Formats: sequence, structure tokens, C-alpha cells
Amino acid sequence: MSGGRDSNNNNNDGNDERLLFLRGVGERNEIGAASWFKPAHYKKPARRHKSARQLVSDENKRINALLSKANKTTDVSPAVKRLVPRATYFSVEAPPSIRPAKKYCDVTGLKGVYKSPTNNIRYHNAEIYQLIVKPMAPGVDQEYLKLRGANFVLK
Amino acid sequence: MSSRDASLTPLKTIVIDDPPLRQAPEPFDEGSAYDPHLPIAIDFGSSKLRAGFANQAAPTHIFPNVLTKFRDRKLNKNFTFVGNDTLLDQAVRSQSRSPFDGPFVTNWNFTEEIMDYTFHHLGVSPNNGIRNPILLTERMATVQSQRANWYQIMFETYNVPGVTFGIDSLYGFYNQNTSGNKTGLVIDCGHEDTNVIPVVDGAGILTDAKRINWGGRQAVDYLSDLMALKYPYFPTKLSYLQYETMYQDYCYVSPNYDEDIKKILTLENLDTKDVVVEAPFTEILQPQKTEEELRVQAEKRRETGKRLQEQARLKRMEKLVQKQEEFEYFSKVRDQLIDEPKKKILSVLQNAGFDDERDFKKYLHGLEQSLKKAQMVEAEDDSNLEEMNDDKTIQKFELLDIADENLTEDQIKEKRKQRFLKASQDARQKAREEKERVAKEEEEKRLKEQQWRKADLNGWIKDKRLKLNKLIKRRKEKLKLRDEMKDRKSQVSQNRMKNLASLAEDNVKQGTKRSRHQTTIDNDPNDTFGANDEDWLIYTDITQNPEAFEEAMEDEYKDIVELEGLLLEHDPNFTEEDTLEAQYDWRNSILHLFLRGPRPHDSENIHEQHQMHLNVERIRVPEVVFQPTLGGQDQAGICELSETILLKKFGSQPGKLSSTSLDMVNNVFITGGNSKVPGLRERIVREFTEFLPVGTNFSVNMSSDPSLDAWKGMAALAQNKEEYKKTVISKKEYEEYGPDYIKEHKLGNMKYFED
Repeated sequence: MSGGRDSNNNNNDGNDERLLFLRGVGERNEIGAASWFKPAHYKKPARRHKSARQLVSDENKRINALLSKANKTTDVSPAVKRLVPRATYFSVEAPPSIRPAKKYCDVTGLKGVYKSPTNNIRYHNAEIYQLIVKPMAPGVDQEYLKLRGANFVLK
Repeated sequence: MSSRDASLTPLKTIVIDDPPLRQAPEPFDEGSAYDPHLPIAIDFGSSKLRAGFANQAAPTHIFPNVLTKFRDRKLNKNFTFVGNDTLLDQAVRSQSRSPFDGPFVTNWNFTEEIMDYTFHHLGVSPNNGIRNPILLTERMATVQSQRANWYQIMFETYNVPGVTFGIDSLYGFYNQNTSGNKTGLVIDCGHEDTNVIPVVDGAGILTDAKRINWGGRQAVDYLSDLMALKYPYFPTKLSYLQYETMYQDYCYVSPNYDEDIKKILTLENLDTKDVVVEAPFTEILQPQKTEEELRVQAEKRRETGKRLQEQARLKRMEKLVQKQEEFEYFSKVRDQLIDEPKKKILSVLQNAGFDDERDFKKYLHGLEQSLKKAQMVEAEDDSNLEEMNDDKTIQKFELLDIADENLTEDQIKEKRKQRFLKASQDARQKAREEKERVAKEEEEKRLKEQQWRKADLNGWIKDKRLKLNKLIKRRKEKLKLRDEMKDRKSQVSQNRMKNLASLAEDNVKQGTKRSRHQTTIDNDPNDTFGANDEDWLIYTDITQNPEAFEEAMEDEYKDIVELEGLLLEHDPNFTEEDTLEAQYDWRNSILHLFLRGPRPHDSENIHEQHQMHLNVERIRVPEVVFQPTLGGQDQAGICELSETILLKKFGSQPGKLSSTSLDMVNNVFITGGNSKVPGLRERIVREFTEFLPVGTNFSVNMSSDPSLDAWKGMAALAQNKEEYKKTVISKKEYEEYGPDYIKEHKLGNMKYFED
């Protein structure tokens, strides 16, 4: 690689050099239309982008649909097998803790034995309350609560 | 106190910048060694992609699983940069995007381009597709659509002969236990989630495996959210990469969280635990002036000030003289008009520009008042000058004793001036006398105090302490009152509203009777409002004036400090620590220690403005995998999940582990990139010791680089021909069974439903 790249690309020369360098890398990385990576008849399918949230809800629908379809039969004879989920994305989800949740200060992370009556923020001592929790601007309390998933969610 | 501060050495500051850019592009593997039958292992992780041929010891390509579409405007052409090549340039890096959304691949076009790039760099020579079989990683119990898309990419896009899917952490376990039939417990700390998977005879038991929706990515986001709330006015915004550096370099798992947070915010602890990170910024340097220049500048400023003052004084004097003349003239007019008929008075006054007699009187009164006031001001102003040149001020006012008739026009003017000067001098004299009197009284009071102190020290101390306590109490009450005022529902606020209402009522009543209305405006001798200081509180009650309140508090605080000073001097039992100020000492403030660490804070210092202190966060962030509720996940932590698996499943009884569980505890395996957080293993060992029956032997293992475990396991599996054969899904099988097909094997996912 010739000469590396000028990290200071404020001047035009440096900018050009940088562009040439990137061009070089980009061209080297191209596999070309005539490559044999993919079969000759291959055409890129039109793909739909779904968000992760949507994928999870689709999976949930898929599993529920299969279950209700298979278990709809009123025939309870042992000959008819019922569909029982074994390992799905939802069944491997860790259950809630059975231990009592420990209480920590939302601001500092220290032990938080007190709770503000106005906004439910947990706090460590009177100082934190006086200086942070009490004068807290509206909305900031929700930011704090969001961190431990205790915020109000409008639906 | 300042001497103690000076003895503190400054803390080490770490500048957190984005990682440096790479200089060289990703190299291409030699194509000559290419063997079309050698399986290719690809760990397609949500943070990094690791790829290589199965006969190698380590993946030949490890890069961030991201991609940038870069447009070259001059050539009118798009370039795609992948992985390490996105790190060659600032602009390219900042635009890079991942094919993942959370734990799932969502952009399959990106995936295809990243796979192109990977095969290209591996030196694969294709022939109507990729000729090598592929091994891929998969999320535990992943959603079906992910696999369907992978099938499509592998078989339709690349036409590969066969593909193996497996769970990354089970591959990792396999790498550690290549015999293939070991029992153990896998704790996998990944980038997007954390899994606990029991393994029996080399096979993952997914029915008892659990997933926590929290990984390294969430931890970095959590840190970034915490810091944003901790420093809401931080001048710059840090990038994900910068927070990632902070997380990787300074966060650690606390061996005992509840004990650690009890003492982390103490001065001694913070000296070692507090990490100061500084955001990079460009400092604007003010050109330094030399001392000489500064001196000249100050001198100049002083001179200008003096000149201006002198000008102002002369102008004032002129105005005063004018006013004085006017006053004298109108006084004369008034005296003359006193016996004239009303009509004439009116016409004279109206000629002079007044509305009526009342207006005239008002004007004259105003004039008199302003003259008096001006003289007072003059007196005060001069008192400073006067003190310097006391003798000079004794001036002669010889013209005053001569009647006007005997003087020329100029002399009369001069006489007026002299009269005014004399008046102001007299006022000055008076002020000085008053000052002396006050000073004398003070002195007497001081002496009395002193005598009292000498005669009865204890009594004196008692009195002063009582006073001090009273002041402090009043201060506290006032602060409380102010806070309550802010709350509309508080008793105090309600009282205020009542006061306002009753005042409004009074006004209405008085408005009807004119006579009564006027008594309040005139100086009615019967109206004693204001004589008592408490009277004025009505205004503070009714108007909410924060500035006035602050001022009053300041004054009171001065009194407190004065009393404390006296007590410090004479009361042996009253020390620095008892003062009100000491109670505000930053050393005693949890908040200060949390925000600013174990050093005083200088808010003017530009470096300190750009600094964050990591202290509680260092252990708070990694703690979430042990207590997911901290991060808003209503789930059990990794140790609780392990406890359930070991003590309640696989035939274990309370207090007695089954032989399967015993085998598991003897082979606990930690893997995944997020397990590189220091202290994780020690913490797991500690918690296992706590919940396992006393005397149970167990062993917790980790490899030297947990992020490579999965890839190495894939390579190991591919080398074991017997095992490997059972895992491969051929293109024919895919075409026969469709995208729902799952080939079950020890390291892979199970079918979704029981057969």
C-alpha cells in the first residue's frame, strides 16, 4: 500500500489522497458481476426488512397458530398426539427471580431504602433527596425509572 | 482546610477517544492453498464475525460485523466497505451499520454482501457457487424465520453443498471437551443475551436452558444512559465506541456487590476505585499577557475610571446648582403669591407651565426632596476623599455673610454655589459624627462582651451557643418554608392564598371610603406599619421573591459565621467540624464523591468540565447479569438460574445433588465475549459455594479468549468426521424438507415441538 493515508484531510490534497485510497480498497473488494460465487441463474430476491420486535411477534403468532391448529381436535384418545412446545424462543426465556428484589438508589446505585412519594425514585439518603430527587425536572424521573423498567409507558 | 486539599495528589485522568483508525485494508488469504472440500466455519456474531477454514487453529478473519455503503460522488459509484475496512476512515466508520437488529439478523442484503466479502477474503475460488460445506452459528432456540433465511442464503445464493447450524456456546463447550460426551453447565455471556445451558453427555439440554435478555451491548447502553443522567450538562456527547472502551477497560464484577457498594463512596476507597475519564476537546488558549502589560492595562483602566468619576461629579454639581437656583426662585414666587387672589395665582402659575396650585406645590416639594437627597449622596461620596485630605475641606464661605444687594451677578451665583457646598459639608460632618458614635458604641459593646467573657466564660458560651442554635434553627425553618411554598397543596401555600384573598377584600372595603383610603397614603401618625420589623414579613409571605429570600439567607448566614468565629476562638469545645460550613464539606457529601470523586471540584477548570468519574458504575453495570432487575429485566440472574438447574432439575433433591448434577458442577464452562469482564469467574465461584451443599466439589473454567471459543469449536467439530457427518444438512435435504427443517444434533437447536 503506497504511503498510507493522510489522517488530516482538511486540505484538498489530503482529501484526494484519501478518496484515492478508499477507491483502491473498494475496487479490490469488488467481486465483479461475472464471479462464480453465486450460481449463474441467481437473482437477488426482493427481501422485506422486519425489525427484531416484529420477528419475535411473528414467531409468537406462528407457534400459537400451530398449537391451536394441532390441539383443536376434541378427540382425547391417546392415539392422537397433542403438540407440546419443547424449546422455543419463548420457553427458554429466563423466568422472573423468586428472590426478593434488592432495592438500590436510582441515582447513585447505593442501597436505596427510601422512595420519593412524588415520583417513586428510590434514593440513598436525605442529601440525594434534597439535591437531586426533589428538584428533579419533569420527565427526568421517568428517565431514571426507565433504567430499571419502572417507567410509565403510554400505549 | 485548604492545607489539607493541597496535600492531595491529583487523580490520574484517562482521555477516552474513539479507537484509532486502521491504516491497512483487510488482507486476502492465499488462494493457492484453497481446498474445495475443506469446511468453512463462520461465527456470524452480532458484534464480530469470525471466519476461517476448519483446518486452521484460529479464524483468519475477525472483524466487526458491520458494513458501510460509501458513495464516491466524483466517479458516481458506490463502494461497500465491510468489517475492518470500515475502520480505515472516519466518515466510513461513522456510517457503518449492522445487519443485526438486537439479537436477530434483519438485513439479509447486508448479510449477503458481508458473506461475499468473507468468501472473497478467504480466497475461495468458486465454481457456480461455493464448493465448501459451511458451519454457522445460531442463537439458542432462535426464531424459525432466521433459519429459513440462512437456508436461502446458503443454498440459493451460494449453492453450498451442505451447512451445519449449531449454538455458539455449545460449539465453545465442545472445543473444551472434544471427547463429545462430557456433562457440564455452560454459562454464555454474549453480546445480545446471556444463556445458561445444561449439557448432558455432550448434548445441550435446551428444555432446561434459559436465556436472559441482557448482554454486552445492553451493558454499554446502560453505562451510557447512567452517565448521561449523572452528568446532564456534559459539554460533549460520547459515542457508543467510547462507552464501549469505558466498559471494557474499567468495569468489573464485584465479588460481593452489597458489601462493595456500602463502602465504595468513601474517600479511602475512591482513591483507588475512582476512574477519571476525560472527553477529548480542543482547548481554546487565550493569549497570555505579560505582567507588565496587565499592570499597564489596570493603570489605564483606573485612570479612565477616575476621569469619568470626576466628570460625573462636575455634571452633578452643575445640575445641583441649577436645581438650587430653581428652588430658590420658586420659593420666592411662592412667598410672593401667598397673599394674592386665587385667580392671579393661577394665571401666574399657568404661565410658568403648571396646571394649578397643587401641581406647583408638588413640584416644589419634589425639588426640595431631590436636593436633600443629592446633598446626602454628595456627603457620602466625599467622605472617602475627605478622609484622605481632611484639612483641605475646611473651606471658607465668605460670601455667605454678605447680603445679595452688595454683590455682583457673578458673585451671587458664586454665593449660591457656596451655600450649597456649605450645606453638603454640614451633612458630611453630621454623617461623620454619626459614624464615630456608632464606632464608639460598638467598642463599648465589645468591651462589655469581653468583660462578661472574662468574668463568666461558661455563661457567655452558653448564651452564644443558644443564639447560634436559634439562628440555625430559623435558617432551617426558612428553607423548609421555601420548599413548602413550591408545593401548592402545602399548609403554607394555602395560608398564603388566604392572606391574598383577605387583602383583596380589604381593598374593596377601603375603596368605598375615600377618607380612609387617603390616610394610608399620607404619613398618618396613627399608622405604625413598618415600625416593627416583623410587619414587613407580610410581603415575603405574599410575594414570592427568590432574590430577596436569597439575600436574607445570606445575611443570616453571615451572622452565623460571625458567631461561630467567636465560639471557635473562645470555646474549647467548639471545633471546625461543628461549624455549619464543615457540614457542607465535600468530603461529607455522598453526592460530591459520586460526581466528582475524592477531590475538590473546580467548575471553572475546562478539563474538569470534560471529566466523568466512574466509581459505582464500574460494578453497577456488570452486576446486571446477576440481578437483571437492575436493568429493567424481570428475570433471574445467571447464578439463580444455575442454582435452579443444579438443585432442582436432573433428579437432584434438596441438599443432595444427583450424579448428573455433580458432573455438571464439576465442569462449569464460561464462554462468550462479555465474559471477559474481570471478576466474573470469581463471583460465580463465590455464589456457587454459597448455594451448593457444603463440601461439594466443583470447578469453573474459562478459556484464555472466550470470544474465539465458538469458532474453535466449529473447527474442532469439522475435524471429527464421524460427528460432523451427522450435523450436515445437504442441499437435497433442504429441497426435500423445506425451510422448517431442523437436523437435531448435540450442539444444535432442537425441534420446536415434541414429536
